[in-house]
Amino acid sequence: MNAPNRHEAFVLEDNEKALEVTEDTKIPNAATFKIVKQDHTVGNMLRAQLLAMPEILFAGYKVPHPLHPYFLIKIQTDGTVTPQAVLEQACTKLIGTMSALEGKFKREFSFKDGETHGGAVGMSNMGAEDPYGAGGGGAWSSQRDYLDF
Amino acid sequence: MQSTHDELEPAVRIRDLKKDRVNFVLENVDLAFANSLRRVMMADLPTIAIDLVEIQANTTVLPDEFIAHRLGMVPLVSTNCDEGMRDNRDCTCLAACQYCSIQLKLDVACHNNTTMDITSNHLEVSSYNDYEEGVEGEAGDEPTKRGEYFGHPVGKNDPDVPPILICKIRKGQELKLRCIAKKGIAKEHAKWSPCSAVSFEYDPHNKLRHTTHWFETDERGEWPLGENASEEEKPRDDEVFDFNAKPNKFYFEVETDGSLGPQEVVMQGLAELQSKLAKIVLGLKKTEPDMLPGERVEETAPVDAWGTGAGAGWGGEGGGNAGWGSTSPRGAATNAWGGGGWSSPTQAGTAGWSV
Repeated sequence: MNAPNRHEAFVLEDNEKALEVTEDTKIPNAATFKIVKQDHTVGNMLRAQLLAMPEILFAGYKVPHPLHPYFLIKIQTDGTVTPQAVLEQACTKLIGTMSALEGKFKREFSFKDGETHGGAVGMSNMGAEDPYGAGGGGAWSSQRDYLDF
Repeated sequence: MQSTHDELEPAVRIRDLKKDRVNFVLENVDLAFANSLRRVMMADLPTIAIDLVEIQANTTVLPDEFIAHRLGMVPLVSTNCDEGMRDNRDCTCLAACQYCSIQLKLDVACHNNTTMDITSNHLEVSSYNDYEEGVEGEAGDEPTKRGEYFGHPVGKNDPDVPPILICKIRKGQELKLRCIAKKGIAKEHAKWSPCSAVSFEYDPHNKLRHTTHWFETDERGEWPLGENASEEEKPRDDEVFDFNAKPNKFYFEVETDGSLGPQEVVMQGLAELQSKLAKIVLGLKKTEPDMLPGERVEETAPVDAWGTGAGAGWGGEGGGNAGWGSTSPRGAATNAWGGGGWSSPTQAGTAGWSV
């Protein structure tokens, strides 16, 4: 009825910004980023990465409501870098980690490839078999077929 | 706050690879990272699944909706779906066309005296050829990027894979329908998930005490160790609890439904995570949308962005502050970030910037 379209949870609308920044007026070197159409997948990972960086005094994220497809991430730095810069560094570092992992996965998969192939489930004998998957179940007694009545 | 494995490179070791599953050990990453990888593999990878069903004849015992739902759950081969298919939402066609969908047809009737199974093997991919010009979307190269069996039900006519039962019919009953399969992700509906299960375990000996084992008399006896426990050292009986310890070895098991292979799921999962982060980086750079060309300023320029002197806010302490933190006099969130390297549109050309 009035339910929103389900794709609105992950597709940015026209003229919708992926990210909004609100500077904190009461705490120095702090800002809250509203990241739209993303959820815990990115939020928690970013938070963890930020906390591992030495410039960070505070980093936390929340998804204010499960039906609202955005999360807020609040960052306070020690003043040597801006929160935006540190968020960008965190993203770049995570992307670096992932591309390193990608290379390692590729290597590992190519080693394993010789043993078994990792493709989609075998589609070898296409069209070889009767498409009518040989009906199960016992035969009815032909005299009592309702179509004959 | 500092994780102990910060400098260590992440490592991965595949323990087992089958055609529909992979088991690997991921080391030297955060718990949050491992969980994000799990989440992205489950919910964010595009596959194709039946989304629209046009029922032409249904005299089976199951109602139309019931059959439509069952059809939606049938996994379809979606290799390279990311490039091989365009989003139906973004396509310019009227309803569905060869660039943004796959058409499958099913036409079965029972004429003999045995119960007949309608299975996923009866679904036949059929190309769109009865379309007049102009109805389909803008031409593209998507269809050339598809594999041979793209869109076919997984395991179709492979004797080793039992087909998926859709309905049972008896003599005189028939089912005739046309399906439109579209691209989607599992956040919209779980039928688009390429994975039937993704799990990861860490700390098999529970050294970190992230869980509490309930027991009657003997914890070790009542909680037998899993096979992952052999990968890690057993804790000594007199071991002191290390409350700073963090998990850094994760035992993953990724099981797919066959629509994508396990290798594709893992690799695409990583790629998808990267693109999500890249969007944030892009968003950060775009916070000043109306920036004039040539107004780019060095990141570390120790200038107050507002040209009003440091008094506007906190700007006073720390020369490296680069304009950060001064409360925006206009209060507009998008304009507030002059210091990050971009001048705000309203400030362009005014005092404070030497262009």
